[in-house]
Amino acid sequence: MKSLTTASGRNLAKAVRDISRRRGVQAAADELARRERALGLRRPTLAVYDHAFQFIGGAQKYGLTLTSALQDLFDVTILTNRDIGQREFREWYGLDLSSCAIKVIPLPVFEERKVVHLDPSFVTRGIENPFHRISRESGCYDVFVNNSMNEMVYPLARESVLICHFPERRPKSYFYADRYTRVVCNSRYTAEWIEKKWKFRPYRLLYPPVDMETGEITAPKKKIILSVARFEPEGFKRQREMIAAFLKLRRGRLDIAGEWKFVLVGGSNPGNAYLDGLHDLADSAPAGSVELKVNISAVELMSLYREASVFWHMCGLKQEDPGETEHFGMTVVEAMQNEVVPIVFDGGGLPEIVDHGVNGFRVRSTAELLTRTLALIRDPAARESFGRAAREKSRIFARPQFEATVRTIFGEILESLRSPKSPDRA
Amino acid sequence: MNELETEIQRLKEELDRKREEITDLKKLAGRDIDRAFEAPLEEFSDKELDDYLRDGLSAVNTLADARPDLRAITSSRKTLGRPVLFLKRVLLETTFSQLDVFLDRQIGFNKQMVTLIRILRGRLADRMKALEEKAAGLEEDTVLLRSRLDDLGARLK
Repeated sequence: MKSLTTASGRNLAKAVRDISRRRGVQAAADELARRERALGLRRPTLAVYDHAFQFIGGAQKYGLTLTSALQDLFDVTILTNRDIGQREFREWYGLDLSSCAIKVIPLPVFEERKVVHLDPSFVTRGIENPFHRISRESGCYDVFVNNSMNEMVYPLARESVLICHFPERRPKSYFYADRYTRVVCNSRYTAEWIEKKWKFRPYRLLYPPVDMETGEITAPKKKIILSVARFEPEGFKRQREMIAAFLKLRRGRLDIAGEWKFVLVGGSNPGNAYLDGLHDLADSAPAGSVELKVNISAVELMSLYREASVFWHMCGLKQEDPGETEHFGMTVVEAMQNEVVPIVFDGGGLPEIVDHGVNGFRVRSTAELLTRTLALIRDPAARESFGRAAREKSRIFARPQFEATVRTIFGEILESLRSPKSPDRA
Repeated sequence: MNELETEIQRLKEELDRKREEITDLKKLAGRDIDRAFEAPLEEFSDKELDDYLRDGLSAVNTLADARPDLRAITSSRKTLGRPVLFLKRVLLETTFSQLDVFLDRQIGFNKQMVTLIRILRGRLADRMKALEEKAAGLEEDTVLLRSRLDDLGARLK
């Protein structure tokens, strides 16, 4: 037995050194790792990277929910560029990631500049790619998952997945999206733009997990129109236009809309001039008719979802750049999970969520928004039936569905890891 | 740990060491990783075109500073080196002084053109935005008036 293992050890060393000579060190390391796994000496390893894990965000929740679903299949490492811990992930997203390791890899270029956001768009051909540090690290795992909106990380792992939330950049300096073995996208809209901008088809669609269902709605709904969206300083979410439209509706049809209230919820950083402007606009409205709620707790948000009747979401209005339209629309699904009838902009990923005239409405202008709202305000029975239909539709975006698709995708990846043949790139 | 496992461990350490020694990512990947891409301008959104123009202007500025440094010219010839260098410099300086006049004017013109296009685009976009807002306001008024009219009609029936 001893001589057998000695012989296989010698053969292995010869094979690995041969690969290293012919195809490089990384290929040799991959082959060694494959044999190790085949012998059952260790579990497969997986790293999930996001340069923005230190911020609360929908994309980060997506990446970490995916990570959480993979803990029993892989030895998982979470890669970040800034200090962050398990506690934050539990508080922000209710996720238990205690079996994952966290590795912080600082990027000196950004640290020297003392910037809050590690903005990849600042990296051009003229400077050395700071994300090469992450690329090097990616080679230390069997599977590397890049959850960033950042395709400047070159994947060295044998199996690699780029989670694309939207293809912001066109192929230019340090573009490596097509070097990943699989590209997963968050909506058909994103998939369409990957094909248009990057000229290849993504591997699989994985809708974001939405879990804001607060249980059976028994109390009667209130006369509240709700909007939940970040108060972006650029005004992409179109809160100003929605407040102006609501005030016009109130002025024009006080007899019907006079008892209705418009509540806008969202997160914001301090010193947001756009938000200041919204406050001024809300102050000019009759008392209590427009309310702005900034950085509220999840509990307060849940209670608003339960109370509201109609949901407005107009991100994409007056916008011709595809990146500034809603790529999916998680808050719309959250509203639908709580039987709030959605009236949304007919663009981006929103048509995948709202079926016009079935479980809500899609509109192309504020005039259409007012038409649909007036019809719903006048008809409580319609609000109720559309609300129920909305809840039904929202189920396809729930967390169990997300986790099941994640397991299918990564089951295929595990299968591919067993093969001696290296996978093709995207 | 049996001998095979020990050998695997040893190989891993050897490969890790080699990996550490390689500084060039291209070499680590075992292939070329960077490529040149064309910019399909006809597919660009307005925002992308704006960014492209901004980058264009900064490229023109970079070009202005990218003239060769004549002091950096050297010669490997021991005895003939100095006169060869002298002749090279005289020749290049004469040529470049003629070219500089032309280049300065061309760079100035390019800068002006890029700035002009940016300003024109900005003005057009502002006008379009104002018109769209006016149209949207009128559409909203029409919706509200029509709903009043419908209610009045229903009451009269």
